[in-house]
Amino acid sequence: MTARATPSRFLKSVLQNGVGRYVCQLKRVSIIFSKNAQSSLGVRDFIEEGVVDYAKKNPGTVVYVSPQSCRIPKIVAEYLNGNVREEIITSKTSPQISELLTKLTDQSGLDIIRIRKPFYTNNPSIQGQWHPFTNRPLSIGPIRPQKESAE
Amino acid sequence: MVFLTLSCWIRSRGPDRYWKVQELLKHARHFRGRKNRCYKLAVRAVRRAFVYATKSRRLKKRNMRTLWITRIAAASREHGMKYPILMHNLMKSSVQLNRRVVSELAVTEPRTFLSLTKLAKARQQEGFCAALGDGKEPPGVFSRVVLLQ
Repeated sequence: MTARATPSRFLKSVLQNGVGRYVCQLKRVSIIFSKNAQSSLGVRDFIEEGVVDYAKKNPGTVVYVSPQSCRIPKIVAEYLNGNVREEIITSKTSPQISELLTKLTDQSGLDIIRIRKPFYTNNPSIQGQWHPFTNRPLSIGPIRPQKESAE
Repeated sequence: MVFLTLSCWIRSRGPDRYWKVQELLKHARHFRGRKNRCYKLAVRAVRRAFVYATKSRRLKKRNMRTLWITRIAAASREHGMKYPILMHNLMKSSVQLNRRVVSELAVTEPRTFLSLTKLAKARQQEGFCAALGDGKEPPGVFSRVVLLQ
């Protein structure tokens, strides 16, 4: 896994999200599970207890619960910028699934790849960035209008 | 007569060779020459690249530190000071700024860096007075370090 070969991005927030109001970037959560399999036991418990509370807490996110006959239960999270994230929840307990859901809610939909720097500024320099003439005294004095030519 | 042994000679090989090859070649796509296309050459090149990446994780820390030190030395020489004097006097005045931050200040905030050099120069002078002047007058403001608890 070389840095050049793997994609990377700079730290960014989606449209300066927290500065004004905060918009939850999670658009849609689909919980795919099976009604009778052993692997979806935790999911079924979570759907009994925690799903309605979660949906009420996050009014901006749509929660779809779809029981299908599937071998592996999944959570498919879709974000406002179009990214889709699938998490496999086989043999997870109900509190673990709610933790996972809070993690997905807090994420913005940006790609999870290497972040080049852990900071980002629009104004990196306040006193003016250094250039070779910052600490040099001026070679000419202050420029004044030429009085000699008028006289 | 029916030939039955022919069908016994057919082997069914693994179905995934293409994808395994592509997994390796995706790490070689930015290489130069045939190493980015041919699997046999790419295997060796990718392995070397990974080894270099592992080794250079340690080297990067060293190189960044030398870069910061070079920058701080250059900036302090503009103000008539030298790097070891600057850092030693900053440390003695309990200014706990690491080299990364000081080099960033030297680049983006030149006036703050100037004030840091002045502070270090003043502390140096106080150190000289304390060493040579028999300590009759109080050594000075910057050498009295207040420990906040």
